Amino acid sequence: MTPQPIWSPVALSNMVDPSTSTGAVVNGAELVVWRDSSGKAHVWEDRCPHRGMRMSFGFVRGDHLACLYHGWQYDTAGQCRHIPAHPQLDVPQTIRMQTFASAERNGIIWAGSTTEADPALLPAEIAGLVPVRSLYADCTMEKALAILAATPLPGVSDAPKIETISENYISLTAGATRLLVAIQSMGDAKLALHLMANEGAPIAALARYAQALRLALETPLAEVA
Amino acid sequence: MSALTLYNYELDENSYRVRLLLSMLGIEHDVYSVNMLPGREEKSPALLALNPCGTLPFIKQGDTVLFGAEAILAHLARHNDASGKWLPIDRPDFSTTMMWLGFAAGPLQAAVKAREVAVFAVGGHLERLKADARAAFRIMDDHMTLRHIEGKEWFAADYPTIADLALIPSFALSRDFNIDHEEFPALRLWLRRFRRLPGFITMPGIPDYH
Repeated sequence: MTPQPIWSPVALSNMVDPSTSTGAVVNGAELVVWRDSSGKAHVWEDRCPHRGMRMSFGFVRGDHLACLYHGWQYDTAGQCRHIPAHPQLDVPQTIRMQTFASAERNGIIWAGSTTEADPALLPAEIAGLVPVRSLYADCTMEKALAILAATPLPGVSDAPKIETISENYISLTAGATRLLVAIQSMGDAKLALHLMANEGAPIAALARYAQALRLALETPLAEVA
Repeated sequence: MSALTLYNYELDENSYRVRLLLSMLGIEHDVYSVNMLPGREEKSPALLALNPCGTLPFIKQGDTVLFGAEAILAHLARHNDASGKWLPIDRPDFSTTMMWLGFAAGPLQAAVKAREVAVFAVGGHLERLKADARAAFRIMDDHMTLRHIEGKEWFAADYPTIADLALIPSFALSRDFNIDHEEFPALRLWLRRFRRLPGFITMPGIPDYH
């Protein structure tokens, strides 16, 4: 399965340390997001070509990601470079990972839908943002957008002003607070909201707002009214 | 002090909680290996005479038997940790430490049971237990998200306590019952920090990166 749309957020940049990996699902496609020791982020299909083990369970060694199962190591281009059971083997070029384009923009790691996704299609840069949190919830994109539009930001009574930056990226503004919401569609009625705010915004209050938001997002529709 | 014996089963998560602190504090001890599966030896008359609850782990030191992982952790930290931090009795963080220790013994036991159902095929409603475990992990991730924003790295204090130690195993083992780590980014960072503490040991189900 191929992740859609062209660029999807998969994590807040500050929550993936160098030399670590994590999983991410974009519309049913299982991905591994990992940072090499130099700090560069990579996004691949979350499956070792050897036995299908999830690479997100694996570990980073320098600029290689190693599979937890048999220790096969892949370089940053996804090419297998080392097979511990055959240390002398010059690994064939055919043993490689399915890779996807990746980019960091506005405090978020974005995964491309293909290896060659066009970076020109990433959202425009916004300066001076700080991380709030990622919020995972069982709800649809439509419902999330409706609830985000109707829920006041902390310390403000009016509903926020909404600006749609792209199909999965919106900006909410109220008073001096601007909250950027990047929406990762994980599958049917399952998503993650990756939240960044302007510097000086009440970050802890926004994190609590997000926590409360999850209750609304996961309340069956009949009960909302 | 007289010799300490841990009644242990290698694949039992609550036994691992105690093994972990014994290792991190470098406490000398003997181990009695209980045939929990398939033998159910902890329910045998001989072991019920020591621990009437028929649970693991428990410890025996001289004539004293202590059951319940959290009580054992508190006891071991109280008597073996010169820094006084793992169980911060005389520090302001005592209350929050006890609160999260209670959480590990309470809501988080859904995760322990979910793993037992998934791995040992004992009876239980797996989907309900998984939902309860996920709810517990969310409470923990929400807490650590706010702690992270405040620049704090541990659950109850500016340093790791037995609360962190009691909470860690369920999250580290959650893939045994098919709950992945990606929905809990703050817990992922916390687990990585804890793994790097001196004396940390793994158990089957927790990867030992080689």
